[in-house]
Amino acid sequence: MDTISNMLYGFQVVLTFQNILFVFIGVLAGTLIGMLPGLGPISAIAIMIPLSYGMDPASALILMAGVYYGAVFGGSTSSILLNAPGISGTVATSFDGYPLAKQGKAGKALAIAAISSFAGGTVSVVALMLVAPLMASFAVSFGPTEYFALMLLGLTAIASLSEGSTVKALISATIGLIIATIGVDQQTGTQRFTFGNPNLLEGIDFLIIALGLFALAEVCSLILSRKSKMMDGNSNVGSLKITKQEAKEISGPIARHSVLGFILGVLPGAGATIASFMSYITEKKISKDPSSFGKGNIKGLAAPETSNNAATSGAFVPLLTLGIPGSGTTAVLLGALLVVGVQPGPLMLTDHPDVFWGVIASMYLGNIFLLVLNLPLIPFIARILYIPKALLISLVIIFCMIGVYGVSFSTFDLYLLLAFGVIGFIMRLLNFPAAPLILAFILGGMMEQSFRQALTISNGSYMTFFDSTVTIVLLVLSLLSLTLPFIKSKLSKKTGEEEKEHLAS
Amino acid sequence: MLASVERKVALVLFVLSVLYLISSFQLPAFPYAIVDADALPKGLGFLLAALSIFLFIQNPVEDRKKSDMNKEEVLMLLAVAGLIFVYILLFELLGFVVVTIFFLLVTSRMLGYTKWKTLIAVSIGFTLVLYFSFNYLLQIYLPQGILPF
Repeated sequence: MDTISNMLYGFQVVLTFQNILFVFIGVLAGTLIGMLPGLGPISAIAIMIPLSYGMDPASALILMAGVYYGAVFGGSTSSILLNAPGISGTVATSFDGYPLAKQGKAGKALAIAAISSFAGGTVSVVALMLVAPLMASFAVSFGPTEYFALMLLGLTAIASLSEGSTVKALISATIGLIIATIGVDQQTGTQRFTFGNPNLLEGIDFLIIALGLFALAEVCSLILSRKSKMMDGNSNVGSLKITKQEAKEISGPIARHSVLGFILGVLPGAGATIASFMSYITEKKISKDPSSFGKGNIKGLAAPETSNNAATSGAFVPLLTLGIPGSGTTAVLLGALLVVGVQPGPLMLTDHPDVFWGVIASMYLGNIFLLVLNLPLIPFIARILYIPKALLISLVIIFCMIGVYGVSFSTFDLYLLLAFGVIGFIMRLLNFPAAPLILAFILGGMMEQSFRQALTISNGSYMTFFDSTVTIVLLVLSLLSLTLPFIKSKLSKKTGEEEKEHLAS
Repeated sequence: MLASVERKVALVLFVLSVLYLISSFQLPAFPYAIVDADALPKGLGFLLAALSIFLFIQNPVEDRKKSDMNKEEVLMLLAVAGLIFVYILLFELLGFVVVTIFFLLVTSRMLGYTKWKTLIAVSIGFTLVLYFSFNYLLQIYLPQGILPF
């Protein structure tokens, strides 16, 4: 009963002309940016952040959340049409989506992707609505040690789950924490690593890092690939119709993977990419006919598409109820929220119920918008893929510049942005993942604060970290998560085979 | 060859961690704090040092993407970075509108876009739309520079 009245309240927040417009702008921008190969959801959100300056918090989060799940939705289009995933969460979509497109069934593939995404998104919003309040009421009792351990778990999880070497991911995270120590110390007022530069007193703004490490670095990759066209002549996607038989066939995977995706999304470090791969692998495993996967099996398309969208809403559970992002993308969302003056966490339910229920309600609406945008309108929207890369590159650079200048009105920050762009590109070249860095940077300040709060309360005794069961469990989990890479290397061998098969077919 | 690249990176990181540690130890002490401002930086410095040692001794992960960068491409990246630098340099001096139009024209042309008419139209249109929507709708004032509006 409570949930229903809360939801009605949420819809009351959303169903104003202004907020409906923001949902629409958010999902449209997300779809478009997500569709462009090379630009991921982090860039999409970071590029859109300047729009939210001065908005009220509920509208800002509604807009930003729309960009996020819109990007995951839109990423599938380029996976299917071009075999060039718009974002990493839709890589698995291309395994069966692109073969379908090659068979001339691009329209069908897009329709299946849109319907699966819609179903995954909607089911997991319902789950989010039910789980989040429970989680929040559980987290209200958390003290600084629990928070510290929870954030530590977030960092170790993302480090061990990210692609490639775990040591490199941990180095990225450590550097993120180190960058977070620049500026005036919150507790003592000591200036740290500012080198006497007044521009560094308040630390480095997260937007500079997000836009530099992601958007600008992605621009560098676009520059390198500028000669290959995004889309060749053929824009005919064919019929969007799905037969009853096909609808029946994909209903099973959709039901399974909306649940699986949601759960994986809630877990720290996992997120849309891992969820989509896991779903693809499990669906293939339980299939009666695994050899048809990778050759245009519609189940192999529906499974990852459902899952990545479900994981996207799942990721909002820790973000909204604990105030702790579990991935790079939600870390940037958190940064956007802090800019407009809202600290998410268990108290947000009571302090800012309009933000909390508003954003959940907006996701229902956003998913419906996305379905409309991506089903009947997809042939028109896909035209964005015709934008010449040379133009696109220079436009994205300008967006990054304005975004940063709009926060600080200082050119010093623009130079920093350029520097982080260079760092981000070098990290890419050397296979250092950037997501742990941005997450660590955002968590850094909070982690230090709760760490020192805990020790101040205990008068300097480190035993305080072993007083609460929750803390101990979380600390043990963070240690365990560092052993995950071994398990993962087995898993990745399998996906490697998957990809090989895909390439061979 | 690969291993040596990884090792050079590890060395750079190690040097970084040492520099960071040195400046952490120079942070002034604050008399009334149980955990002072230097505690975390010191810990992080040692952590980074330890991790860079790990990176140095571990076997490089074999599945690296081959980078297909030739000299021309590197020059192109540097040229774009240089243009961004000039853009920032002139940003407040000449104002958003002038520098942005100039930047869009030069960068897109350099990257190989040849349709001048479209390019000029997009550059001017995009810049003006952005400028006016930021200044008048969002009230985020971009530098006006030498233009009177």
